[in-house]
Amino acid sequence: MPEQPLTLDAALSEEAVLSTYRRMFAALARDSGAVVDDPALVDIAETLFGAFAEAGEEWLTHEQMRHVCRAYPADQFDNRLRVLKGLGAVREVFPKPHQLRYRASFTSVVGLMFIRRMMDDGGQSEMHRLLALEDLNVADPRTTMEEARQSAANLARAFRLWALELITLTTGTIEELREQAPKLWGTEEIARRAQSLHGTILTRWPDLDRTCTDLRAAIYSYSDASRRAAGRLADSAGTTRNLTLLPTETWRTFSQTASRERLAAVLDGFVFDAPAPWHDPAAIARAVDEAPRPVPAQPTPPRSDLPDPGPADSLDGPADAVVQRLTEVAESLLAGAARIRLSDAVGADWSSVRRLLADLTSIDLRPELPYRLTWSDELSVDPDREPAWLSHGFLERTS
Amino acid sequence: MPPAVEGSASASQPMVARQAGTVPPAMAEAERTSAAPQAVTRLGREVPAAVAHVWARSGGPLRLGAGAPAPVGMVRLTHNDTTGLAVPVWPDGVTPSLLEEHQVAPMPVERAGEARRVLAACLKCCWTDLAADPWPGVAVPAEQVLDTYRALIGRSDDLMRNWAVGALRRLHDSSWIVLSDGVVRLGPRCALWPVESFAQLKELVRRLPEPERDELTVVADEDLVTGTPAAEPGGLVEGGEAEFDDLLSSYDERRRAELVGAYMVLEHAAEPVQEARFAALRDPAMRHTLGEMLGRRGRTLIQQHERWTSGYDDATAAEAARGEGGLGESERAVLTLVLVHSVAIPRAEGALPEDTWLSPFPTPVDELRRHTQLPIGELESALRALRHAGLLGQVKAGEEAGGYVPGPQFHRLTPAARRRLQEELILAAGPHTPLAGAVRARRSAS
Repeated sequence: MPEQPLTLDAALSEEAVLSTYRRMFAALARDSGAVVDDPALVDIAETLFGAFAEAGEEWLTHEQMRHVCRAYPADQFDNRLRVLKGLGAVREVFPKPHQLRYRASFTSVVGLMFIRRMMDDGGQSEMHRLLALEDLNVADPRTTMEEARQSAANLARAFRLWALELITLTTGTIEELREQAPKLWGTEEIARRAQSLHGTILTRWPDLDRTCTDLRAAIYSYSDASRRAAGRLADSAGTTRNLTLLPTETWRTFSQTASRERLAAVLDGFVFDAPAPWHDPAAIARAVDEAPRPVPAQPTPPRSDLPDPGPADSLDGPADAVVQRLTEVAESLLAGAARIRLSDAVGADWSSVRRLLADLTSIDLRPELPYRLTWSDELSVDPDREPAWLSHGFLERTS
Repeated sequence: MPPAVEGSASASQPMVARQAGTVPPAMAEAERTSAAPQAVTRLGREVPAAVAHVWARSGGPLRLGAGAPAPVGMVRLTHNDTTGLAVPVWPDGVTPSLLEEHQVAPMPVERAGEARRVLAACLKCCWTDLAADPWPGVAVPAEQVLDTYRALIGRSDDLMRNWAVGALRRLHDSSWIVLSDGVVRLGPRCALWPVESFAQLKELVRRLPEPERDELTVVADEDLVTGTPAAEPGGLVEGGEAEFDDLLSSYDERRRAELVGAYMVLEHAAEPVQEARFAALRDPAMRHTLGEMLGRRGRTLIQQHERWTSGYDDATAAEAARGEGGLGESERAVLTLVLVHSVAIPRAEGALPEDTWLSPFPTPVDELRRHTQLPIGELESALRALRHAGLLGQVKAGEEAGGYVPGPQFHRLTPAARRRLQEELILAAGPHTPLAGAVRARRSAS
């Protein structure tokens, strides 16, 4: 078989062919591996049958068969031939040992034709034929009630299964539905025929009403399922999808060259809503409240008239500034005296006393400053005063 | 857009009578003698109420001849000369603000805040007698309304003025006001405000600031001389009961409210609503009643997967469309162009997977301006009108990118209408293709 790149479409159609074969022979197969899984194998059988038909009464030898199937690999050919012989589709012309000529079975050829047709429309035309035949049968005076019952039961079963398949399709993917869509066309006709057959049976054998009820239910369920599947298909065909059928360029040319009249004509006869916004009294009042007010000129925050050197950081400042400040603190406390009592220097406000003591301690700890702090052991306590207790000490000038 | 307004548009407005057999001979006589010549030929047949409702929804309030009764389900706004306007009303006295309760978004209103503030200014000027109903009020010069608006927002620049004039035009197009020759009157839709809300409106009118007088008098005198119509229309609101009582009376109060709620949501929501959210849509019997309610107004239920909306019933729309269409020629042309660029071309390129007339692909404004046969001025005004009606949506992206896509109204096309739209586009763009041939063959066969 010549090697060709397998396209997706080809793969899909081959898969569809095989699935039909598998389904048709599922009833007869011994196990699930008994059905071919390569479309080429079916083609071998078809090629063979074609060659047999041409050969006529000459029949075909093994070599001739191999020759017509030369396009296929030898092992595939041998395998097919073995199966076909085993199943009786290809037989020796005379049942003798060492027979070299072969003939094909008429049944198998007809079967293959039937399969091809089944594949085309999913068995729809077979159903038509079957119904036509059954119609003739039940009208035949020789037909017995038992035969009619059998026939009605078979049809009911077929319709039920068919309906189930359609229901599955309807709920499945839209792509699958579209692919299987041809099975849906003409279902009305089939349902009508089935109903007429049902009528004939019921008129002739009123005793079969129970079987006929089943048949009727099956026909209705089939009609309903096909209607729903077709409906879904129509919906999916949609209301804008056909726009894809004109190329982009056509659309552009139209929009660029069409006159106003031609453009407007597209919407002739369409009715659209006139603008009708609702302005509720509450909404009007709200809008008035939210009206953008004129923004008053923003007053600048008040600022000092003095030049502002910006924030000063005493810690980062030069060491002189600290010494200067501490000297000022000490001198202001001493006020010219050489020595003062601390109890005279501190006020009643603890937070400022606290700061003052911290400064005095700093002064004491700086050897370069000429001031010392001396503490005595004396402690005065007075609950009514602030601070309530006071250690006594002196600040004195050392030089 | 032909809004039903006084003036030049009046001759084209359809005249309507009740269904055959319900028109008293005297009134029919009155109609024949008073109606404009075009209206008579159109009135050659009497029109079912459903068709009248389709006209009202697609073309704004209907003009009625002298003494002619309003169609069922519409309120009659009678002028002093016994001619009048017919405006559809809603069941059980509800208004579209019911959508807010259901947390469903209504059709988006362009620059809603501005339009409503300008409407408030109109109300302030036209509703002078607060003891009476707001409609019809009195006619005032448009300048007076603009001055009131200016006092309301405290700005007086040109931009403000342009915006306010734009809002006046939109309010006129949607029949909230009538603007003609520089004179503003309250429009027929103002007659639909429920009586319970008048107190709120009065309070609003009282707290709106008065415009500055001196500016007003200069312009107003001039306008009053040239602009005031010869006769004040006067006004009387008559009737206006929704026609659904026989359908709704068999339901208990709760179900009735659910039905009315679902009806309003279907008719006025911007997008289709979830079936699961509304009892009246979930329950098949109630949904059937909804379908009947819609049917009386020439509408039908439209399902999109698990969501529902309403649209024009195909048969009624076909009958209604035999008259003049709602959209002007340039508007229809621009809409067709957007459908080609946003739907047909992306679809042909396989970029649009969903089977819908809505599209995420904007038609660039530049494409419309430069590569079509439409004059720019006509294009701009058509785009404005289509946007205002929810037929186009504007997509903004950066400075120059963005453009227009088919608007939310395209949710409301029935499957048959959608299919017909597809066929019409194919017939127009490729009249000699086999596809167009197939369409014509099928049409002539049916």
